[in-house]
Amino acid sequence: MSGFARGRRRKFIRYVLTYAGLISLFLVFVFPLLWIVGISLKTREQIFTNPPVFFWMPTFENYAQVLTQSDFLASFSNSLVVTTASVTLSLLIGIPASYTFARFRFPGQGVAMITLLIMRMLPPVAILLPLFVLFKAVGLSNTRLSVIIAYTTFSLPLIVWVMKDYFANLPKELEEAAYIDGASRMLAFRKIVLPLARPGIVTAAILSLLLAWNDFIFAAILTNNATRTSPVLLASYAGGETGTNWGAITASGVLVVIPVIIFSLIVQKHLVQGLSSGTVK
Amino acid sequence: MVAQQFEPAGSYAGVIDEDVTSERRNAWIKFQDRIFVPLTIVPTIVASLLVFGIPLAFSLLLSFQGWTIDSGLFAGRFVGFANYQDLFTDPLFRSSLALTIGYTIATVTSELLLGLGIALLLNSRVPFVRIFRTALIIPMMITPIVAALTWKLLLDPSYGLVNAILGTRTVWLGDPDLALIAVGVVNIWQNTPFVAILLLAGLQSLPAEPVEAAAVDGANSWQTFRHVTLPLLMPYVVVAVLLRTIFEFRSFENIWVMTGGGPANATKLLSVYTFEASFLSFDLTLAAASSWVMLFIVLIFCVFFILATKRKEIQ
Repeated sequence: MSGFARGRRRKFIRYVLTYAGLISLFLVFVFPLLWIVGISLKTREQIFTNPPVFFWMPTFENYAQVLTQSDFLASFSNSLVVTTASVTLSLLIGIPASYTFARFRFPGQGVAMITLLIMRMLPPVAILLPLFVLFKAVGLSNTRLSVIIAYTTFSLPLIVWVMKDYFANLPKELEEAAYIDGASRMLAFRKIVLPLARPGIVTAAILSLLLAWNDFIFAAILTNNATRTSPVLLASYAGGETGTNWGAITASGVLVVIPVIIFSLIVQKHLVQGLSSGTVK
Repeated sequence: MVAQQFEPAGSYAGVIDEDVTSERRNAWIKFQDRIFVPLTIVPTIVASLLVFGIPLAFSLLLSFQGWTIDSGLFAGRFVGFANYQDLFTDPLFRSSLALTIGYTIATVTSELLLGLGIALLLNSRVPFVRIFRTALIIPMMITPIVAALTWKLLLDPSYGLVNAILGTRTVWLGDPDLALIAVGVVNIWQNTPFVAILLLAGLQSLPAEPVEAAAVDGANSWQTFRHVTLPLLMPYVVVAVLLRTIFEFRSFENIWVMTGGGPANATKLLSVYTFEASFLSFDLTLAAASSWVMLFIVLIFCVFFILATKRKEIQ
């Protein structure tokens, strides 16, 4: 009886410690972001009150200000255009390639896969200068097309590695049946493989979307004030001093991050696999 | 790396009886099939060559040349290792190399230790643990610039939350001794969840028998963890450490937004040094040399990564 009671007490203590740990996790990793959301819902006086206000009537004036601000809207729409275009292009190029990597053997295949893996690892800052010089030479500097090209290419390794495993795990009997019925490879790929691979394609699309949407360094160099994306605009707010317009800064940040959070939660199961280039399942 | 080689499917491998199909397939389909492999591969190869291959080759060339942005693309003259010599005699470069190494070791170690602890915590079977697991994904995915801005405001000397909680008025980002730690903390905050979730995936894929056997043999939980779980988890730890090393080594956004490399170059890591040489001082040949030093270091870690994932396939 006492042994049973002791066991229950130990279990209780373990629960308490576990939840204490989990709640501190939440405080460290999520609360800072909630605090920033909070700032975006405060008036200027409330933001610069010391000690900080913890309870207040939320105001949307910062969001109203940001959403009527032409440079925020311009950069946000640039981000949308650049992200949509690069995701579409990289899927169009990367998915057929990754299918071929999964299903066929051809000379140089191993080298190509390893090269793609290394491409994903290289620090962008180390490739930025020659890329900038080359884009300038072909008259593409300060265009959205230049960042679209850069993001498309940087997404390819991600898409090829994530989708290759996905395609390799699809049963190939269906494709073989289609060949026997006289379908071409292209037809079997489009009509049979792609519909089966849809969940994998969604994951690959979102990972490449996040890459383009979150990037700062390429856009910082390859765009100008008219073609810059949201992260570039946000970084310009932080140049040197953050000034006193914290309401607008935080509201813009929240608006930029909301789509990221939604899409990340959709693919949360596949995030680790994607971010480790398919090396971990 | 999963080197799952499949036998070629379809007529490519002669699986299908050619007599049955050849009548049905016209020449057009045969032609399409013949070009399928090149057609699907070539765009990826062309894009990679254009955006990676040519620029990398160009900057390698540049790093051995005297060149300015006004000269023609290939008008530089060969100067041997002079740019690399300039680089390694530049005290600023040497200090940024040293800072980068220290910063990378410190951030990766912290991410690994915290991540391991969090993975073990998230692996416990208590109700609602899933909610915390999901919440942890958010910092790891948000736009790095927004993460950096978030912490810049939190660390503000006058109105930041951190000083309000601590009751201090510390100038976190203006103090050369604190600034590097502060920018490091932002990356630790953002990337520990990745390590935690990767190691959690590892923990959940481990077989149960060895742990049960250890319990039967009377091992306590620390002994079980130290001698059973940790060795089994090692392949995941290696992948996490190598990936994080490669990605911390390139840290840029957090520094650029929070300190811009200052105060007094205290946070000028290699990435910031290279960026400034490329786009602020326009010393292009020096920037190319510094880029290649970075690339060379990352390539070494890539080799380790490839060897580690090849040797022990993680499933």
